[in-house]
Amino acid sequence: MPCVLVVDDDPFIRKLVATTLEDIAGFDLVEAGDGEQALAEAERRAPTLVLLDIDMPRLDGIEVCRRLRATEATRTTIVMLTAAAGDDEERRAEEAGADLFLTKPFSPLDLLRLVHDELGDGAGDGEAI
Amino acid sequence: MATVPDSMRDEHAQLRAELEQRENQVSEKERQLERYAADLRETFKSERARTRELQVSYVATVRALTNAVEARDAYTGKHAERVTAYALEIARALDSSLAADQGVEFGFLLHDVGKVAVPDSILHKPEPLSAPEREVMERHAVIGCEILEGIAFLEPARAVVRWHHERWDGSGYPDGLAGERIPLSARVFAPADALDAITTLRPYRQASSLVEARERIAASAGTQFDPAAVEALLSIDDATLERIRREHE
Repeated sequence: MPCVLVVDDDPFIRKLVATTLEDIAGFDLVEAGDGEQALAEAERRAPTLVLLDIDMPRLDGIEVCRRLRATEATRTTIVMLTAAAGDDEERRAEEAGADLFLTKPFSPLDLLRLVHDELGDGAGDGEAI
Repeated sequence: MATVPDSMRDEHAQLRAELEQRENQVSEKERQLERYAADLRETFKSERARTRELQVSYVATVRALTNAVEARDAYTGKHAERVTAYALEIARALDSSLAADQGVEFGFLLHDVGKVAVPDSILHKPEPLSAPEREVMERHAVIGCEILEGIAFLEPARAVVRWHHERWDGSGYPDGLAGERIPLSARVFAPADALDAITTLRPYRQASSLVEARERIAASAGTQFDPAAVEALLSIDDATLERIRREHE
């Protein structure tokens, strides 16, 4: 089953994403609270999709993205969580190898649609939106 | 005037900056939650619309099936709709939750759906049926129940369809169930069906008056019908029954 890795230093955001993708849509979800942990989990679980917050202390999302792209064997979809659309942040993320963007505050319906588009129907016990 | 020491000023500035950062974090969380709330509202709204749509298509489906059955029998006209209205009145008079169960109402409407499998020569025969013919005719209860198998929203309807010809004394068909082993929905339906049959013109006999119908049904309480269902029917006033008859002529 496809696995989603959510990386955010804010446990509040991780909780919302878990509720949306795991409880509602039935995806297999792995959480990481910082960049180091994210890289370790990515290696261990080989997620199909990584939801990556850009603004994190120490190792930020851009750097994590760059390292993921440098090391991954299979192609993972990387979705960057950004603070504002269309600014310099997005350009840098794109250069680092991000595929898609989701602007905070993000819509859970958009998140579900995006993940469904990339991964299909999840566990199937969730409601298709 | 005492001057504020530099160290304290620095500390103030630091605290202010920290407070501002905290406030930003809180308002970010707030905006994120508002986003979730807005989507939740949207989802509920579209879910409600979808449920309504589904409801409409359920009713349309049942109506189409009912019409298909009735189209074959010019004499009975809107029999299914009248019987359904009578049966709902009886259910209400019994103060039963049945009247609120739309699945049961669908069962009242579809009670004869199995007649699609009965040949015209038997269905339309004006003379009494021979024993083998009657056997074919009586199969409509089981066939109807089978037709509705696997349709979740029609599950409560199946009991009416299968057992609407059972009799309180156990001499009915197809299973010879007696008394309260016959589901209430079917027990409520039986006198309603009789009422309509007696008060409607058929090729082989005249329509009888409401008074006569009441008498005949009352006489069969405890043999053909559940006495409680008969009592409930008898408690409904003439005006209500007349109105139903006129509305679905």
